[in-house]
Amino acid sequence: MIRRFTVLAALAVVCAGVELVAGRGMSPGAAWDVLNGGGDPTERHILFQLRLPRLLVALVAGACLAVAGLVLQSALRNPLAGPEVTGVTPGAVLGAVTATALGLAGWDSPLAVVLAACAGGCVGAALLWLLAGRGRGDPAHTAVHGVLVSAVLGGLTAMVLLVEPGELGSVVQWLVGTTEGRVWQHWHLLWPWALVWGVAAWLLAGPLTLLRCGDDIALAAGLSARPARTLALLCAVALTAGAVAAVGALGFVGLLVPHLAVAVFGADLRVSLPGAALVGAVVVCGADAAAQLSSRLLAGALDSGRLTLPVGALTACLGAALLLVVVRRTPSRTF
Amino acid sequence: MVVLLAVSSVCALSLGTPYVPPHRLVAAVLDGDTTLAGIVVTELRVPRLVLALVAGACLGAAGLVLQEALRNPLAVPEMLGVSSGAALGVAAPLVLSLSLPAAVQPMLAIGGAALGGGLTLLAAGLGRSPSAVLLTGAAVAAALQAALLVLMVMADQLDLQLIYRYLLGSLSARTWDDVAGLWPWLLVAAPALVLCAPVLSVMRLGDEDAEALGVRAQRARLAALAIAVVLIAPVTAVCGPVAWVGFLAPHLARWFDPAAGAVRWLPWSAVWGAVAVVVADLPARLALAPVETPAGAWTALLGVPAGVALMRSGGRGRAARRRPAAAAAVREPLPGPRKAASGAADDLSRARASDDVSADAPGRGRIDDGCPPSSGATRTEDVR
Repeated sequence: MIRRFTVLAALAVVCAGVELVAGRGMSPGAAWDVLNGGGDPTERHILFQLRLPRLLVALVAGACLAVAGLVLQSALRNPLAGPEVTGVTPGAVLGAVTATALGLAGWDSPLAVVLAACAGGCVGAALLWLLAGRGRGDPAHTAVHGVLVSAVLGGLTAMVLLVEPGELGSVVQWLVGTTEGRVWQHWHLLWPWALVWGVAAWLLAGPLTLLRCGDDIALAAGLSARPARTLALLCAVALTAGAVAAVGALGFVGLLVPHLAVAVFGADLRVSLPGAALVGAVVVCGADAAAQLSSRLLAGALDSGRLTLPVGALTACLGAALLLVVVRRTPSRTF
Repeated sequence: MVVLLAVSSVCALSLGTPYVPPHRLVAAVLDGDTTLAGIVVTELRVPRLVLALVAGACLGAAGLVLQEALRNPLAVPEMLGVSSGAALGVAAPLVLSLSLPAAVQPMLAIGGAALGGGLTLLAAGLGRSPSAVLLTGAAVAAALQAALLVLMVMADQLDLQLIYRYLLGSLSARTWDDVAGLWPWLLVAAPALVLCAPVLSVMRLGDEDAEALGVRAQRARLAALAIAVVLIAPVTAVCGPVAWVGFLAPHLARWFDPAAGAVRWLPWSAVWGAVAVVVADLPARLALAPVETPAGAWTALLGVPAGVALMRSGGRGRAARRRPAAAAAVREPLPGPRKAASGAADDLSRARASDDVSADAPGRGRIDDGCPPSSGATRTEDVR
């Protein structure tokens, strides 16, 4: 277990290093100079005011999403639950967009955006709860209804954006999930939020492990299932909202990373929750580094300065590919 | 039904600016180009209405074909990646500022739609369970959406507005030219629909029974997908992916006539699709006037809850839904998602989450140092 944690931490460090030196602003050699204390003011600014916060935000947001996904999957006992398919992420996006459009929250008041995203996430989860009805215990049913809920919320978001088209440019990046232009302000807002809710999730790890075994066993072990589940759901919504407010709706991270984490660290959440956070951080940071690199290469190849590859596109493609592999490789099972 | 269609059509023709009272409509149409009202009605409102009717009918019919062929009440173009693929095919040249002749656009849309749907079916395996197909479709659709969003991020502000409006599905500013572009495709699709309807009713029985009756299930499925693609793609090329009509219309058709078969549902589904789009186009034009909202947003907002409610009410009173009698399966108005996924529920509640999805995840062999691949259950403390 210790070894696995060490390997993952090493991976995270490698991804972070790659992310720091990849990108278009300056060559890797220049970045290395700056790290050694040299470089001119512009390069220093790029590295310390742009790349470093971006890296940190990517790490923490990935960790948040992964933990939220694991908490959701455990609380609902549903391997297909994740923030994306339970209406939490689209709800959070809707909340943030609405608050921005109404002028309640702007990019200058990030805390309001987070709170609005939180409220929206709760609304999305509640909507799924209403829509799924009696089939809640059924994973595929919930997942499918989650897609429907996402469609409704997406329609609402579209309406809001059409009434207030001024924000469209910045919001679109945010619909797909991107770490472009994240600065220290975002980081200062994100880490306390993530820390508080992350600790809450970790405190819930024991009850959640019991909930994974089923309500009867949890009851027999002396855990009242309903309050524990409600708290866990609240926790997941809050974590997702924080991540969405910081980097937007990253696809598939919250759905697939928990499975990876459980495969690596086993089903005891006291171990695998921190593990999931680490895996999520590695995945998002690695995807961001890859996106940076490929943007740079593509811009060189296609000779267009406008081309950037948002990290959300990469995680969505990656997640889709993984999901396809998983669905393909379990022929004996009907999902 | 007919009344609803008539009322919404008259509303579509008479409301707006300028307001043309219903009793003057005929006169206005006969006047043609001489009066302002005549021009507005004949050159703007009538083509828009016709387009809404045709598009809705196409989407409704395509939705029913897909649902019946895959025996899955949630197999809608949106969930299978067909719509996203078509939209991608249309949006890509827009962003990359390639100027193409108008005739090529439906071709691109068809290519994209076939790509999306084909990918889904290939990846899911043709004879797989409904929910596997849906999950795969969701993944494919998400990947295509991501590609679309990358395109949108690259676009500049003006293009972005255009693409965004297009992607939501809107009927604004469509003229006779757009309507004329649809006819050749319809001429291809309509006979195919008529031919495939009886096969669809056989497909209901399940693959084995269908094979026994001489239907090649796999081929029939591919054919159904092809027909759906030919129906959906031209519509998408003209007015964008009007969302969830293909979900709502078949359910409406089934709800009103639960005992019929696919042959009877097909026309009804087409008509209901037309009604849905015409009705959704009214608030799209008038709700936030003078700003036009996209009809697709309204169909998504109103259509999804309505469709789910219909699906539920259709599923009510079927306490014996797990009875594996073929006769019951045929009589059932529709196999609700619970039935579609009931096997999944049993399986998944037995298997621990981790064991189920990630047991075969790639890289597990690398991660699990020395664990034999079948040891998922032991690692995950399976208590059952």
